Amino acid sequence: MALIRLIFFGFIGLTIVYFLVSIYSRSVRREKLEKAWAEEHPESDNVPARDAYVAEGMEQYEKSLRHKLILLVYVVPVALVIGIHIVTTYT
Amino acid sequence: MRRIKTIFLTLVLLIVGAFLHYVLPQHDIVRITSTEVIRTDFNGMNRLFYAQADSGATELSTRDLRLINTEMKKTWLFGFIQRDSSKVMVYRNEDTGWIWPPYFKFDSSDLQAQAAAEVSSAANPQWAVMTHYGWRNKYLTIFPNAIGIRPVAGPDVTVIPWFNIVFFIFLIVAFVFLRAAWRQFRERAIDPTMQDVDDRLDRVGHQLNERRGRFRRWLDTWRAKPRK
Repeated sequence: MALIRLIFFGFIGLTIVYFLVSIYSRSVRREKLEKAWAEEHPESDNVPARDAYVAEGMEQYEKSLRHKLILLVYVVPVALVIGIHIVTTYT
Repeated sequence: MRRIKTIFLTLVLLIVGAFLHYVLPQHDIVRITSTEVIRTDFNGMNRLFYAQADSGATELSTRDLRLINTEMKKTWLFGFIQRDSSKVMVYRNEDTGWIWPPYFKFDSSDLQAQAAAEVSSAANPQWAVMTHYGWRNKYLTIFPNAIGIRPVAGPDVTVIPWFNIVFFIFLIVAFVFLRAAWRQFRERAIDPTMQDVDDRLDRVGHQLNERRGRFRRWLDTWRAKPRK
């Protein structure tokens, strides 16, 4: 019963962390793309082209390994729990 | 105001520090003198400082509590500096189970057997490193909870608190991340919105001024004309 509670609340907590990290990561990536565009086209006022460039960059980011690495937020704590349990119980 | 802020911050820091001091693992150099089991009736004050019944058992208001009696080397500064003297120390030995604090300990019976096997006399001491968390308080009758026992050759061993090192590094990383995330959020979400609101307020204020100006001028037409 206690294990189910741990899994339930742990999942909720880690989901919150997951969303925080992914929102932050996405925001940083978007800012980077905007800056890259501004550097390449310092004088351009072409807003649709800029938006398309950023959208394409974001699409690439969504597919990238970097984005998927955020799933480690779920993996690492579980590994840590198993590791601590093994160390305290079997050594 | 600044003084209140300082007092408040100090208080928060003290509470967080005490909490971490209670929960994080520490290592004592001990010689185990005996093990025993006592019946314990908790009260509201000290219930907080005990874990729950063993993982497979039912929680009742009264239960047996495993204790490990030791002679412990005294230390300074959270165990970093060893002293020559020693004192008695009593540890409880309870499952923490899946809950709190997160040691995921289920082997208190095995640990008790190991502690019994390590019992030694003052004439022929067998020293051990006792990993534990928690506090001993005589007035509340609370004991630190033993997590692990590792026999060592002599009382002069250096124990490197790897877990605590990693934990504090993680704490710093988490803090830096949260601050960076907050700054990013403010820069990208709050500031532009505030800028927008500011602009709008400016425009509204300007319009208001203009309207008031017209009204004023109209009012002024009622004023007596300066006599010639």
